[in-house]
Amino acid sequence: MKKFLKGATGKSFITYAMLIIAFTAVQITVSGGHASNMFQGLLVPFCVYSIAAASLNLTVGILGELSLGQAGFMCIGAYSSALFSVCTKETITSAWIRFPIAILIGGFFAALFGVLIGIPVLRLRGDYLAIVTLAFGEIIKNVFAALYVGYDSRGLHFSLTSQGDLGLEPDGKMLINGALGISGTPKDSTFIIGFIVLLITMIILYNFINSRTGRAVMCIRDNRIAAESIGLNITKYKLITFGLTAFLAGVAGALFSHNLSILQASKFDYNLSILILVFVVLGGIGNIRGSVIAAVVLTYLPEVLRSINNYRMLMYSVVLIVMMIFTSNDKIRGFFSASLMKLKGLIFKNKAVKEGE
Amino acid sequence: MALLEVKKLGISFGGLRAVDDFSMTIEKGQLYGLIGPNGAGKTTIFNLLTGVYKPTDGTIRLDGVNITGKSTIEINKAGIARTFQNIRLFSNLSVLDNVKAGLSNHYAYSTATGIFRLPGYFKKEKAMNERAIELLKPFDLQDDAETLASNLPYGKQRKLEIARALATEPKLLLLDEPAAGMNPKETAGLMDTILTVRDEFGVTVLLIEHDMFLVSGICERLSVLNFGQLLCEGKTGDVLSDPEVIKAYLGE
Repeated sequence: MKKFLKGATGKSFITYAMLIIAFTAVQITVSGGHASNMFQGLLVPFCVYSIAAASLNLTVGILGELSLGQAGFMCIGAYSSALFSVCTKETITSAWIRFPIAILIGGFFAALFGVLIGIPVLRLRGDYLAIVTLAFGEIIKNVFAALYVGYDSRGLHFSLTSQGDLGLEPDGKMLINGALGISGTPKDSTFIIGFIVLLITMIILYNFINSRTGRAVMCIRDNRIAAESIGLNITKYKLITFGLTAFLAGVAGALFSHNLSILQASKFDYNLSILILVFVVLGGIGNIRGSVIAAVVLTYLPEVLRSINNYRMLMYSVVLIVMMIFTSNDKIRGFFSASLMKLKGLIFKNKAVKEGE
Repeated sequence: MALLEVKKLGISFGGLRAVDDFSMTIEKGQLYGLIGPNGAGKTTIFNLLTGVYKPTDGTIRLDGVNITGKSTIEINKAGIARTFQNIRLFSNLSVLDNVKAGLSNHYAYSTATGIFRLPGYFKKEKAMNERAIELLKPFDLQDDAETLASNLPYGKQRKLEIARALATEPKLLLLDEPAAGMNPKETAGLMDTILTVRDEFGVTVLLIEHDMFLVSGICERLSVLNFGQLLCEGKTGDVLSDPEVIKAYLGE
């Protein structure tokens, strides 16, 4: 048992168990009527940011490349999935069928863009990925903010200038209305679905890391030259990892867009990418579970602190600094892992003695 | 037929002729040594053989196949594996995972199989684990399988690098100064290991080494390199007593 919990599979099962316990606790609180409206409103964003942060950790922590475009991929996922749901709202009435398809569509388009960006950039060594993804995020945001799409009996119309430019017939319908975005997306994102998607994301991430591909990716991170010398195809593995990160970011975007009645591109700005990167760094680079915890804590905190509005950002920054010290300082980490070992020793003592016999 | 045939190999870095007109033939199963003073171009030849550098002249043939100018990955698949002068392990991975990374191309399954844990995953991983432990045994590393590679003592890190190279099932194994930084006792142990590896895994070994105790102890043939050119080639005993070689090493 002790050995199992120390191993890779054990670690992932601890995370799944933690998530399920947290989910059950939240469900009990909510159904008992003890949760505030604010808290209930945050449940889906918890899932969204957890998925976005955990998937970014795959690129930053496991692949070792910096990506600043997570918001851009979320944006693509959010728009493509919302567009699908708006169009099929009438034809597919069951949210349990429509929403999973929308999520997959969001993920697919985000992954498509991820791979397209990755093909030229991931061949290079150095910080090019950070530079390109930063630009990509901004471009995507601005393109969607200026995009007008509508349809009428003559078919689909696109414009990048104004609504009038579309020349819609009077009975035509606007799908994307420039900076006003997409409205009328069905509110399909519930905490239960969000949680299921989060759990699936974690399973995908852990299974990926503990597979042949994940091992190859970590080899490339640790030593590129040695990885080449044992015949690992660097570009291929980098592309797979980055594509998966983009896919999951798109999934997060889909969850995000189906939680809002109006989806606007301005939400997916540079600050969102940085925020998600902050979750990853504070949760521990390469630590998937940490990303989820950091995402939840740092999403909840600013909202809780709203009551002491004047000191809100002050408190937030103090928490950021404290978390940074705790997660990056070797001595403090050593102290905690030593105490944890002692604790584990106490719990598993009886069992270990029995096994020894 | 010879396993490795190098003909008139040469490379220039700008105006510097690092290796010039270098030829070498290694027979299957041989233990071959490449020696020479510092800066003679030994590691450059390794880098040429493994595709890190592309030669400006000459051809390299492995088992009759022309591998000149191919990429490192293709050359590894063709059957050349190497270790490095400055150890290059995957330091954040366990000893077992380092070897399993080397096995990666021979026990391939798709990324989707890994993510969805299809039956192929369990089968291949199990086979990989067993093979990895088998590869660790000759190096006496099987008890350290779960240790992080960076936490291994120096001598064991060198051995792990050899084990990882062997995992790719090479025909030719290149060892770049395997005994560097080892004490005489460790070197003696390493010599036994190299001989065992050659016999047990049926690989041909080409090694660069400064430690003459090791070179004279296990190498069957030697090539001596000086200023990027072949100084002399032949049986170990003859080469080491050659006055030209002594002059190159010790000066006049």
